[in-house]
Amino acid sequence: MNGNAVVVGIGESEYYKRGGAQETEFQLAVKAISRAAEDAGLELSEIDGLVSYMDNRNDPLRLSAALGMKELRWAMTPWAGGGNNSAAAIQCADAAVSGGYASYVVAFRALAQGQFSRFGSHFSGMTNAAGPHAWTHTYGLISPAQECALHTKRFMHDYGITQEALCDISMACYANAQRNPRAVRYGSPLTREKYHDSRWIVEPFHLYDCCPENDGAAAVIITTPDRARDLKGEAVPILATAQGIGPNIGIDSFQGRWFPGMFYEGVAETIWQRAGIRATDVDVLQMYENFTGPVMMSLCELGYCEPGELQDFVANGALEGPDARLPFNTSGGNIGEAYIHGFEMINEAVRQVRGESTCQVDKVDLSFAVGGPGYAPGSAVLFGRD
Amino acid sequence: MHPAAPCCLDEISIMANRYLGDSFLLPALEPDNRHWFTNGQLHVQFCNSCDAARYPAEDVCFRCQSTDLEFRAIAGEGVIESVVEVQHPVHPLLADRVPYNVAVISLSGAPGCNAIGNIVNSDETDVSIGQNVRAIFEKATDPESGEELLIPNWEAV
Repeated sequence: MNGNAVVVGIGESEYYKRGGAQETEFQLAVKAISRAAEDAGLELSEIDGLVSYMDNRNDPLRLSAALGMKELRWAMTPWAGGGNNSAAAIQCADAAVSGGYASYVVAFRALAQGQFSRFGSHFSGMTNAAGPHAWTHTYGLISPAQECALHTKRFMHDYGITQEALCDISMACYANAQRNPRAVRYGSPLTREKYHDSRWIVEPFHLYDCCPENDGAAAVIITTPDRARDLKGEAVPILATAQGIGPNIGIDSFQGRWFPGMFYEGVAETIWQRAGIRATDVDVLQMYENFTGPVMMSLCELGYCEPGELQDFVANGALEGPDARLPFNTSGGNIGEAYIHGFEMINEAVRQVRGESTCQVDKVDLSFAVGGPGYAPGSAVLFGRD
Repeated sequence: MHPAAPCCLDEISIMANRYLGDSFLLPALEPDNRHWFTNGQLHVQFCNSCDAARYPAEDVCFRCQSTDLEFRAIAGEGVIESVVEVQHPVHPLLADRVPYNVAVISLSGAPGCNAIGNIVNSDETDVSIGQNVRAIFEKATDPESGEELLIPNWEAV
């Protein structure tokens, strides 16, 4: 266990359906950061580091001015990928304060998908299949849903997993969102019938296997335990983090050496070794679900169960509610709460340690959040009590 | 391990129309993909030092870091490793083409190499994991150079 850095404040904007935010994306970012600072009891001017990920549009220089920061000492994003780096952003902030390069670092994600192009539709303007896309777009393989579906289909085939397993995962997210007034899907429960009746996006993914697009922002403030003692926010230690990628994976996920898979074996080995625990020791899990299929594979790669056990592992409400066998995506996750590229799950993982979740698990000592499976490198973060 | 002997050019199957429509996106030709999209025969990159096959092509061998790489012809045969049916079109040119299939094909003669493609001219029962497939080439014209494209795709054996 590490614990050289702590989260001392969390904040988020309101979450909206795509296009629902009146604020600009930049205003959403500032709101989330301001609320995190307020939660911590920290003056905005004291913040001296900014970390985000995945083609962040909210430039750190623009933000540092808007926040009235005295000095920006640390500004970075992890390389490559997308929502897979939500936990890697925490690692980068941890490294900054643990290494003494900055004192109060914000990690955040802000997006207003209504103000920018829709995922998928930004391909509409394409007139040819260029660069790495030549190998895929030429054949109509264009969107992340389609890519993840190819992995999922083979995994289900190999282990005899049925559509019900995907349904179980989506239903858990929706059920937990019904407890969370922040959730975009609050008040919109999902039934098994509604799931199966929904249209196919790319088989085996129904509409409800895919996370929606949303507008919103979430942020945390990370500092050292010593500095946190002088702040009012309840400090939650970052016990371990990992980001990684296995051998020869690179940017093409379909090669025989690792197909099908979500690239989490390496992350699992690293984080469990660093934390000195096993997956099954964790009290509550937040796992990025861009689509339900990658969750199945990642649960296995992270060590929760064997692939042949997966169907039963997620069945019969095993992931739903605070008393679940494995409490999972307790805020509703990307599917139920809001798709803030997994950062809303970072906030939820911290809430679980503080005892502030709307789906609060009893006696949380270890709270785990996993960045988006399906795209390399993977990342994960373990919060908990010292 | 040496690649299988290439099939004869005059034996290849050619489609006059593309599976996803003749107006759908064409590959932009580059040095590393020209072999794949113009030869009318499958070519995959191999390392001359350690014989590792690599698809798509890369500047350096991932196994031994050699830059002594060449494209070698392989038999136009493979196996469906995964295949899905796309129902929601994400490009306007696909709006009237859905549902269409996309597959991962393991390439015979190029160990570890999987290509993306469509299964054409096939019954629904043939479009399944484990099905043997052979290459068929879609004829098109590169709008930049006017060059003929022969885009590899697949049909059930």
